[in-house]
Amino acid sequence: MSATAHPVPVVQALGLTKRFQGLVSVDGVSFSIAANEILGLIGPNGAGKTTLVNMIGGTIAPSAGELLFEGKPITDAPVHRRAHAGIGRTFQVMKPFPGMTALENVTVGALFGRDGGLKDMGKAREAARGWLEFTGLGRRIDTRADELGGPDRKRLEFAKALALRPKLLLLDEVMAGLNPVEVDEVIELIKAVRGRGVALLVIEHVVKAIRRLSDRVMVLHHGQKIAEGDPASVLSDPRVVEAYLGKKRT
Amino acid sequence: MMNKKTSIAAAIAVALLASVPLFGSDVVVQFGIDALSMATLAQAWNLMGGFTGYPSFGNSVFYGLGAYGTAIAMTKFGMPFGVGLAAGVAAATSCAALVGLPILRLRGPYFAIATLGVNGAMAEIVSNLRIAGADVGLVLPLTRNDASFYELSLALLVFCTGCVAWAATSRFGMGLVAIREDEAAASTMGVNATLYKVAAFVLAAAFTAVAGGIHAYWSTFIDPASAFDSTLNVRMVIMCVFGGPGTVFGPVVGSFILSAIYEVLAAQISTAAALLFGVVIVVAVIFMPKGLADLVQQAPGVGWRYFVRNIRENGI
Repeated sequence: MSATAHPVPVVQALGLTKRFQGLVSVDGVSFSIAANEILGLIGPNGAGKTTLVNMIGGTIAPSAGELLFEGKPITDAPVHRRAHAGIGRTFQVMKPFPGMTALENVTVGALFGRDGGLKDMGKAREAARGWLEFTGLGRRIDTRADELGGPDRKRLEFAKALALRPKLLLLDEVMAGLNPVEVDEVIELIKAVRGRGVALLVIEHVVKAIRRLSDRVMVLHHGQKIAEGDPASVLSDPRVVEAYLGKKRT
Repeated sequence: MMNKKTSIAAAIAVALLASVPLFGSDVVVQFGIDALSMATLAQAWNLMGGFTGYPSFGNSVFYGLGAYGTAIAMTKFGMPFGVGLAAGVAAATSCAALVGLPILRLRGPYFAIATLGVNGAMAEIVSNLRIAGADVGLVLPLTRNDASFYELSLALLVFCTGCVAWAATSRFGMGLVAIREDEAAASTMGVNATLYKVAAFVLAAAFTAVAGGIHAYWSTFIDPASAFDSTLNVRMVIMCVFGGPGTVFGPVVGSFILSAIYEVLAAQISTAAALLFGVVIVVAVIFMPKGLADLVQQAPGVGWRYFVRNIRENGI
């Protein structure tokens, strides 16, 4: 495990495990992320990436293991309490509030969010406007979420998660379905967020993006961590190549 | 939502309504009491069904508890009417909190079925309680002052609508709407969904109970069948949905219009009134499923195409 910049990592998982009846989806995974750090999470389909994110976000309870946030245990904390602590996330299957405008969507994050949010409607609206500008949705603030196109919905999902002022941001495949130009934009956005001192866990299928983005990369395969380290060496690790492409014939 | 124009229009409407007992006949005032009370019930239902997205069929429980709380306090303990109302509200809100915690975990039709079950159970319980007059019922002290009951019902409706108007523009209301739109996403944003849902349920219970208490004192007689009447709950749903669920004034306007239509039908062609009323509802649901509020906002721009679009979206 690489050295962290801060004495206490933002998030630390100790042997997180999730069993669905007989099937082990995530098997004793440990890792930590520091402030200002981007941890890339890759792995083949069904490796347990989303299950891992769901355990950190609180929508799935782990079968075993412990989760620490800024050194305090949050393994059993309900979802909203994690948001108050500073965990923001996007969903692989996006979850906008369909009947609300983009501005209202993001305002919810600002109103509630970390430490219970801004509480004041006017301030929350102002903050939401700022996050929509930041993610490039400034011109669509009054558009209903269900009328936004795919890439704009991704931006909205991102803006909502940012509006709760997270210390840890979990991004579950925000680049899927985007064209190369849009992927570049998202990479710049994520780097800008990291620049604000946020710790990020980024799940992505686009390996090229992960290589450019991550400070460290972690690879899951069949629920187990098979590699972790700097992007270049992890992505050339024979075990990782094998997990993705199958065994080389000899 | 509540701009200056709307506030002025609302104030004028309230003033006009308040002056009805000055010149209206007894029949008009009595109709007014029923219509105002029905509008309050629809508005209270709106908090759960419209804003939070939980279609409750248990609001008639709160109505019944309000009625019985008031009746028992007044007849068995000789308390004044105000204390009776407070007792009814206390019974209904504690029931909402106790029952809400477990059943608000259910969504959609499952929540509706569970609330319906609560209503049946409560009617059975009350009809076996001697203090509540068992299945015979209770007779309240007689007071014939329709004008006061009318103004009281109006005051309750104004207060209830004021609360909904506040909720619609507040952090609380934003949390409720977020829960309606996507509960999992709302929790992820930091909304304490359980707390908010129970709070909305308790608030709805309080208004419903006061309406029940007022009605009990006014009608001077209650029994389990009339107090825990699930068709009353169906009327709340119809009136709120007809007017526009999740809006501030939709449920009020909707229930005034439907109450008036029903009254006219009942007076003109008594026996077929319920049937014709049913036809009105069916036509309304097909042509304007999003309620009057949406019709008023959207239709002026697109005219009759508004109805065509609704029918298409309904997939009929």
